[in-house]
Amino acid sequence: MSTKQSSLKSWPVWAAMGIIVVVMLVFGALRDSGPSTQAERVDAIAQRLACPTCDGESIYVSRAPAAEAIRNEIARQVAAGQSADNEIVAYIEQRFPGSLLLPRAEGVDSLVWILPVVVLVLGFGGLALAFRKWRDEAEAQATEADVALVAESLGTTESSEKNDRDDD
Amino acid sequence: MSDRKVTSRRISRNVAIAVAVVVGAFFVVLAVSKPRTDTDISTPLLGQPAPEVVSDLVGGGEFDLSRRKGSWVVLNFFNSTCVPCINEHPELVVFDKEQSTLPDGAELVTIVNDDTDDAVAAFFEKNGGGWPKVRDPDGTIAVSFGVARVPETWVIDPAGFVRVRYAGEVTSNELTARINGMKATP
Amino acid sequence: MNDGLAGPLGRAALLVGVIAAAFGAVASIVSARETAAGEEARTARLIPRFAALAFAAAFAAMVAMEYAMITRDFSLQYVQDHGSRSTPAFYNFAAVWSALEGSILLWILALGVSLAVVTWRYRRKLNDPMISWAMAVMFIVTLFFFLLSFGPANPFAEGAPGVTDGPGPNPLLQNHILVMFHPPILYLGYVGFTVPFAFAIAALVTGRVGEGWLIETRRWTLFAWGFLSIGIILGGWWSYEVLGWSGVWAWDPVENASLLPWLTGTAYIHSVLVQERRGMLRVWNLSLLLATFSLTILGTFLTRSGVVNSVHAFSQSGIGPFLLTFFGIVVAVSLGLIAWRGDALRSPGAIDSPVSREGAFLANNVLFSVFAFVVLLGTVFPLIVEALQDRQISVAEPFFDTMSTPLGIAMLALMCIAPVLPWRKASEELLRERLFWPAWCGIAALVVSLVVGASGLAPLLAFTLGGFAGGAALRQVVLATRRQGWRGLVGRANGGMIVHLGVILISVALSASNSYTKSQDLRLETGVPASFEGHTFELIGFKEETDARSSAVKALVSIDGGQAYAPAVTKFTNMGMNVGTPSVKTTFTHDIYLTLEPPVKMDSGTARIKVYIKPLILWMWIGAGLMAIGTILAAFPGKRRRRPTDPTSAPVPVDPAEEDSERV
Repeated sequence: MSTKQSSLKSWPVWAAMGIIVVVMLVFGALRDSGPSTQAERVDAIAQRLACPTCDGESIYVSRAPAAEAIRNEIARQVAAGQSADNEIVAYIEQRFPGSLLLPRAEGVDSLVWILPVVVLVLGFGGLALAFRKWRDEAEAQATEADVALVAESLGTTESSEKNDRDDD
Repeated sequence: MSDRKVTSRRISRNVAIAVAVVVGAFFVVLAVSKPRTDTDISTPLLGQPAPEVVSDLVGGGEFDLSRRKGSWVVLNFFNSTCVPCINEHPELVVFDKEQSTLPDGAELVTIVNDDTDDAVAAFFEKNGGGWPKVRDPDGTIAVSFGVARVPETWVIDPAGFVRVRYAGEVTSNELTARINGMKATP
Repeated sequence: MNDGLAGPLGRAALLVGVIAAAFGAVASIVSARETAAGEEARTARLIPRFAALAFAAAFAAMVAMEYAMITRDFSLQYVQDHGSRSTPAFYNFAAVWSALEGSILLWILALGVSLAVVTWRYRRKLNDPMISWAMAVMFIVTLFFFLLSFGPANPFAEGAPGVTDGPGPNPLLQNHILVMFHPPILYLGYVGFTVPFAFAIAALVTGRVGEGWLIETRRWTLFAWGFLSIGIILGGWWSYEVLGWSGVWAWDPVENASLLPWLTGTAYIHSVLVQERRGMLRVWNLSLLLATFSLTILGTFLTRSGVVNSVHAFSQSGIGPFLLTFFGIVVAVSLGLIAWRGDALRSPGAIDSPVSREGAFLANNVLFSVFAFVVLLGTVFPLIVEALQDRQISVAEPFFDTMSTPLGIAMLALMCIAPVLPWRKASEELLRERLFWPAWCGIAALVVSLVVGASGLAPLLAFTLGGFAGGAALRQVVLATRRQGWRGLVGRANGGMIVHLGVILISVALSASNSYTKSQDLRLETGVPASFEGHTFELIGFKEETDARSSAVKALVSIDGGQAYAPAVTKFTNMGMNVGTPSVKTTFTHDIYLTLEPPVKMDSGTARIKVYIKPLILWMWIGAGLMAIGTILAAFPGKRRRRPTDPTSAPVPVDPAEEDSERV
């Protein structure tokens, strides 16, 4: 590797790349994609509510007549421009109890949010523990007696094992 | 080190037991599930002023629920192809006939749910029932009441408040008895 | 024609199947114990006969059902419910699997085929106890499904007399050719996983978890996974083309049921490489296989029993309890074997460093397992709440979208690094070196996205990481083809990179269409063009098409003054059901998706057309094609094909000339 090549992929260059990416991401994340149109508001609200005659399909997805009717009502209220999204959601939810598609974060319902996080933490935590155990095992030093035992059973003097080379 | 070896030696067994406990709990939960009982179902509109019902009628004419204040109104959400609606229709015919003989009889009004005018008109011509049938082409009225499935029957008192909500078929006797009961205890 | 023979013949075939599977299972177990005890393999001869008989029975049952459907034999209840004189032949053929009982027949047929192929493949090794145990498991699974079809889910049940016509299959299953492909391909995926499951059980029972059984079944597992992947994607395509809401995935319970085994199966095909290379994770891989199969049964239970509509629905038919019992047995046996044998069979050895290919595969497994847990939890949570507290809640798209987005981003991030990671240990210098150009691909993707106007952190991250991961995968393929020519495209690692490319395309397309779909309700008048998002839409007129089973009203809409697209509303006269059919114009950058909204009044000269502009949808199907191609390429033997008898953790001889090339 020439020095020019290695300097191209050196830490400062990587750090610069990282900064560029972060800056662009922040710019893009905060960028205003324009005011949402009425249709987008209707779609967004419809995605938060379940169709009352379906099996958990949202009003956005369902083609059932009841869903059509509720979509019309949402469109009517959005066009009237007097209610905020949450108010419209509450209006529908009041009349069709249980249609809120996002379980609330209270009581038993909160479990559905908490348990995945717990499992994720346990998963990676378990992995970390496993790696620590493996590293500890690997660091166990061979005693003289161990070396002698191995040499004896191999019938050779100590032979160095070829490590796996850096390969794919 | 030897302690850790012992516990890690049992990892498979312990994890298997833990998973078995969870799956077993799932089975138990399914087994002890209680069946649901459907009575006349509640609505947040109970005891509240009824939502607006302003629309035109099948066959011409206008309807406005608020102008019916002063008398009991029974709203029946209906669809000509729904089997329970067809089943309960004779009961409604009887109910309407009885109430029309009373001085303070309840007014029966059908609210058409997801159906065409022609189909509704043909149904009533064949099966009788001369009461007003309110059109609801966009489903706005159904949504404002929170009606997704038909048939549903709502009883509105003379002051315009929602008193009862029935989901499913109703009988003439049940309706009459219920309204009489409410009339007796204002 | 309607001599009503199909019913009794079909039922008889199912009974033969039950007997064949039962006897086959017994013969396999007896043979396994015989050969394990060192005796002569007397009973092993019987195994192929019972397998052939079971296959013949499954085939005959399916033929009987198709015959009844094609000849409109209304003496059968199933034909009364799903057949019709006016359904076209193509859809009528597929109507057999349009409902529960018939789809179980399709499953049984796939099982029969698997039985036959596995028996034929191992015809010379049937005296190996492990093979016998695997056959036993396959026979037992086949027995369960034959019993299900013979008993509670009887497709050949007699219907009411005197019925001369039926409503036909659900109208949604009558208007797109995908109905012919999606269920069979999906079922091949489900059933395909039965084989590695059988071998996993056999490995645990016999204690031979370190041998070549893995390599024996690896191609089978790969194909099962491939079929499952394509089956799921075809389902998304069907949702897009038929259902009319312009989406490809709605997180409904049936979809989730198919996703669950796919997630654990994907975890398996990655971590099994660690077993092949380092001899480690044996019990974990076995657990993954057991979990994958269990999830296919759980998924079948959840969707076939009606439990997820209401937890109380499943008691109404015998199918639910039957499937639940089978699921319970599968789980009990699996957990029991793991608890009994798992610890004794665990491989020794250690993984040196988390920054290595092994480490990446382990991280992959954690992510996929957590994802599977999330999908399972979300699907069954409403059940549990309803059973415990008697109230109904919904756990649906918003929950799954919120949970899957960070997980998906993490998986994409892993895909950026993992392909360049060497086995055992990587130095940071190596990473800096190898990840350089892929990282620039990621930056380029981010720049392009920002230039075309994308916004929002999650999709931008997805695009950046997608570019990065695509660069990493391409790098591997380019290096491999440089070294080995066309052989650089085959083999697990190279084929896997092409599959990765497909997955990346799908992820990017999904992210774009989920985040940037724009829609509008247009009230079009004939001859008056309206414009939306840079396209003009003009209603040219209406067309009415009536045939024996339906009458359709089509609105002809010309897009940008060009060809007319015809979204329609079709009324199926037999069922009284209105079905909307969308019409889609596809380009490389976006799809223009039109639906005709009811009420449709032809004589008014106006139509309510809903327009969706959906970015990058075409790339989803291209990505799916890449996944299929990559799977086939991965099934080819790579340059170094291990013999099944090679010990799994033998060091691979190092050829200095191939330092940087793919080796598996």
